[in-house]
This record gives sequence, C-alpha cells and structure tokens, in this order.
Amino acid sequence: MTENSNDFSQLRPGLWDTVNERYPDSMITRDELVPLVRPVKTLSESRVTFVSTAGVQPRGTLPFDTVHPVGDYTFRRVPSGSKPADLEIHQLKYPTAGAKRDLNVIFPTERLQELTADGIIAGLSENFISFIGYNMDAERLERTLAEDIADAVEAEKPDVVLLAPA
Amino acid sequence: MSLDVTQRIKPPRAMFLPFMMGHHFGVPFHTELQKKIILEALGRIDKAPASGDIHMFPMTWAKARQEGKEIEAKILAKADDGKS
Repeated sequence: MTENSNDFSQLRPGLWDTVNERYPDSMITRDELVPLVRPVKTLSESRVTFVSTAGVQPRGTLPFDTVHPVGDYTFRRVPSGSKPADLEIHQLKYPTAGAKRDLNVIFPTERLQELTADGIIAGLSENFISFIGYNMDAERLERTLAEDIADAVEAEKPDVVLLAPA
Repeated sequence: MSLDVTQRIKPPRAMFLPFMMGHHFGVPFHTELQKKIILEALGRIDKAPASGDIHMFPMTWAKARQEGKEIEAKILAKADDGKS
C-alpha cells in the first residue's frame, strides 16, 4: 500500500468483511504485493486488451450461468471491434440500467476503438475477455478461471491490460 | 469494486471510482468522461509510485450523474429539434 491507498472512503464500506462473513472463504485476500513492472513502451506504442467481470458477451454465444449457486467459471472472448448492438449482458449481480442504455459505462468498446483511431493507443488485441464476478469458491476461481483467463490474455499478446470489475 | 476489496487483493496498480456499481466507466452518453476514466487508469502504468497504489479518480458520483443528465437533456433537445 502507498500513501494514496487508504485516504478515501467508499460508498458501501466494509464489503469484504460482510461478504466473507456470510460466505466464508468466498473473498480473496493477499499478504504480499506484486512487484511493479515498469513498461518498456509508451501508451501510443502499446497494444491494449481489456478484461471485465461485466458478463458481457457476443449475442448468440452460450449465456453465463447467472443463477448457479457457486458461480460460472468460464469466460467469453469478445471481439474488440464489436459494437454495443453486437453484445449482450448476462449478469444479475450489479445494476445494468445504465449499461442497457449505453454499454460503454461498463464495457467501453467504442471508447477504446476511438482512442486507437486517435493514435492515443497503438491498437487493441483481437479479443477482449469477459466473465462474471459472481464466483463464490475463491480457491476454484484462482485455480481454474484465473489461470484460463491469464492464458487467454497472453495469447492476445497485449502490452497493456486494463481490468475492470462491474 | 469496493475500496476495501481492492485493498485486500493488492493489485500492483489500481484506480478507485466512488461510483455506483455497474458504472465503472461513468454515465450513459458522457463520452468524454468515459474516455477520461480509461486514460486516467492507463496513466497509472507510469504514475503509480509503488506496487499496491490505489489512485482516487477525482470526481464524485453526484457530479458524474449531474453531467450525464445535462448531456442527455441536450441529446433529447437536439432530437426534438430534428422532429420539428
């Protein structure tokens, strides 16, 4: 943690403790910091990929299982050139009213495409990665889905990965 | 994402937005804000002073929502002009 890490509040404080008390071992915690790797390329030279827990997927692909009691440990590849009309959301655990009017509030494909067109970033990976955040077995999540996503991200050969929860 | 959850999982670089769930890139149709959030997050690649840093995005949810409402009102007014 740095000085920046503790001096502001959140809208719903104490969420980690609340969820972990109700669903023991469902929440991940880390004791060690990951070593910081400095980039060798500038942003305008970098190929960017995006990883999201928003449950966004191409229309017509197998929907995420949003009602399974312990979650869905699969992911979907989302072509980075997709338009919002090509995509749909299968996720029940966050408010989607905003996203249903403008998907970019949670899965900003159009903004990332524009940043590429403007030369601010060099390009986008062929696919983005999407999964759902409701996975109650943290050990299984880290052993399976996280590893699968890491492999999928590596295959996209990005220089930079932007990760966002929903 | 909740701040305390981010603090627990200790990503090497993170940006926290005090926004409503489902709105981590802002509010509908506010394209400038959506871009600003992406660029501020990507900017942490260079600017994070050390691993575990969590940067606070400098905007309240109330202000984001207010700006979004103003943008939507302009979009609606333009659409109405087009009809008349």
